[in-house]
Amino acid sequence: MSMNDPIARGLAAGWNITDASKLTEDRTVEADVVVVGTGAGGGTTAEILARQGLSVILLEEGRLYYQKDFQMDELTSYANLYQEGMSRATADGAIAILQGRCVGGSTTVNWTSSFRTPAETLNYWSQNLGLSELTPDAMAPWFEGREQRHNMSPWQTPPNLNNDLLRQGCEKLGYSWQVIPRNVKGCWNSGYCGVGCPTNAKQGALLTTIPGALDHNAQLFHGLRADRLVRNQDRIDHLLASAMGADGITPSGITVTLKAKHFVVAASAIGTPGLLLRSQLPDPFQRVGKRSFIHPVNATVARMPAKTDPFYGAPQSIYSDEFNFKEGTDGPVGYKLEVPPLHPAMAAGVVAGHGQQQRDNLGQLPWMQSVIALLRDGFHPDSPGGTVSLRDDGSPMLDYPITDYLWQGLKKAYLTMAEIQFAAGAEAVQAVHLDSGWYTRWSEAKTAISNLPMKPHRVRLFTAHQMGGCSMGHDPATSVVNGFGEHHHISNLNVHDASVFPTSIGANPQLSVYALAARNSTRLAQKLAPSG
Amino acid sequence: MTDQHPLPGQPDTSRRSFLKTGLGGTLLLSTISVSAGLSGCATAPAGRIGAIDSRMDASYQFQFLSRDDIALFEALLPAILAGSLPDAQNQRRQTVASTIERIDQGIVKFGPPNQRELRKLFDLLNFPPTRMALARTWSDWPSVTATDADAFLQRWRNSRIGLLNNGYVALTKISNAAFYGYADHWHLTGYPGPPAWMTESLPQFTSA
Repeated sequence: MSMNDPIARGLAAGWNITDASKLTEDRTVEADVVVVGTGAGGGTTAEILARQGLSVILLEEGRLYYQKDFQMDELTSYANLYQEGMSRATADGAIAILQGRCVGGSTTVNWTSSFRTPAETLNYWSQNLGLSELTPDAMAPWFEGREQRHNMSPWQTPPNLNNDLLRQGCEKLGYSWQVIPRNVKGCWNSGYCGVGCPTNAKQGALLTTIPGALDHNAQLFHGLRADRLVRNQDRIDHLLASAMGADGITPSGITVTLKAKHFVVAASAIGTPGLLLRSQLPDPFQRVGKRSFIHPVNATVARMPAKTDPFYGAPQSIYSDEFNFKEGTDGPVGYKLEVPPLHPAMAAGVVAGHGQQQRDNLGQLPWMQSVIALLRDGFHPDSPGGTVSLRDDGSPMLDYPITDYLWQGLKKAYLTMAEIQFAAGAEAVQAVHLDSGWYTRWSEAKTAISNLPMKPHRVRLFTAHQMGGCSMGHDPATSVVNGFGEHHHISNLNVHDASVFPTSIGANPQLSVYALAARNSTRLAQKLAPSG
Repeated sequence: MTDQHPLPGQPDTSRRSFLKTGLGGTLLLSTISVSAGLSGCATAPAGRIGAIDSRMDASYQFQFLSRDDIALFEALLPAILAGSLPDAQNQRRQTVASTIERIDQGIVKFGPPNQRELRKLFDLLNFPPTRMALARTWSDWPSVTATDADAFLQRWRNSRIGLLNNGYVALTKISNAAFYGYADHWHLTGYPGPPAWMTESLPQFTSA
């Protein structure tokens, strides 16, 4: 094992890490603060609190995977690093949910796109939702701080052809495009971000804030699932957690009781509402799990005359915001345009099909190009979002009905993406939809796509961005936490993840989570700091 | 899965979506697991299957798929993977068998809620009355030809019932990912695999 790997080095140096699958008897542990989740929010929180001298315990349901495990293989990575082995979906199965389940959370498997929360979004929150302290100016230093911490900057290397074709198409049509800022250091431009960075270039939580917290004596439990926060009056007394067995999926029967002065939940926009619902915390207005947003994603694929090799090179480096806020923040739904990487299993999963037709589609992978549209949900009354609720076994699930308002946006996005691909020189374009053929001319595509039925399952939908469900706000009638992530009814409970967003972000959310968590953790650290 | 409790997961939403489809029979799906169990369908994990009564590798221990599920995939994979399976009979059987093993491995990591969903789907396809009513496949799966299997897949893909579309996507997605995502089959998609200049210099490959 390489001693150049910071995780291997830290383990050798005696970081306080417990693999809960190895526990043989129930335990009770105690710290100043217990942080549930090790993704963008949890990692940031743990590092900031630990640096202030507070004792911190971090909990992660997934397992600790690092460089030795990142072998550039889709099947093992999807099975081990993603929620429900990459099979997570909305309640009716119509929207595939891509979400990390490992130390570092989704930041371990994301495609490194690092956007500030758009000013339009922050202005909407501060002007329409009463979050007046979250203006772009007030947030700027927090974005700047996190951009430094995670080494975020616009990608300097030329984009791969998959991304460059989005640029070319936009150029031709007079649409705006920009270079994506990425959180990498010494990136090899290989294209394997989604299966765990093999070169330790990605500066996600796994290689930044988690080591930062562990260097300051934080303790990390992995393979440990937070079951229930147990309340005494208006305070959380302790957290009950179950150890997962060696397979990472089945509880071993061992439980851990975690006591702390303060609890921070950062278990994602599906996991956090789930934990709060299981804990039956006061929720007089039944706000927990409501207004869940996902940036619904649809896609088109194109066959290009030149090889695109869409499996190699930085997966996301070019984007277009031409249609994101064009019709106003709260008008018809806006969408951001990006490009996905395409490896065989991902391509086979995205493009539904079977038989010779599927074989022919996948056989042209090296010439394939794809564009995705991320819809900015939650800014309009006809986009109220979804709902997280509990199954009988206590696991959380997201129900996300697609409204007509969103179907209209998805149809428009199909058309925009096809038009861009033809402008970039595509030989043929297909909407990722069960009824779409391959179209060889834009005029043909335009007519055919306009007539595609916009129905669940027939429109292939995805989400990699889960937000909301524990909305922040001043009014407990419409929110779960205040603008600092402090729970309205429980005095020693914060929520520091994407679940606090009152709408979607309108951009890949990792930097929004990092920045807000940094701001709220800095305040929490002052509140909890050892006096004197 | 050994726990055959009928549908603890998402009764509300699956019932709602069933009603929306206009199929009637709201409770149909939720009773299948029970009926399938009572009628002698193999719903328990197949465990190790001896080489004598099947072409499965006896060293692989099935954790989720039952013998009936395995028969289902043996019938469906020649249609799902048409054009990609080897022509030689022996090789073809081996490829189908190892793909079914990888499907089993993948499902194990799906976790209990989605495993329950798949159990419902597979039971529905394996239980003769529902196989005939919903899949409109008259013979049992071991007797189904690739042409019949393809016709079934097309029916579910083109159905106006969203739930059946969803079943089609579930069956093809887990099969396609397990097959095309596997290193031995990458070449069929033109994907050369991780670049040699990386595997030759990264510690997780060189010190393995």
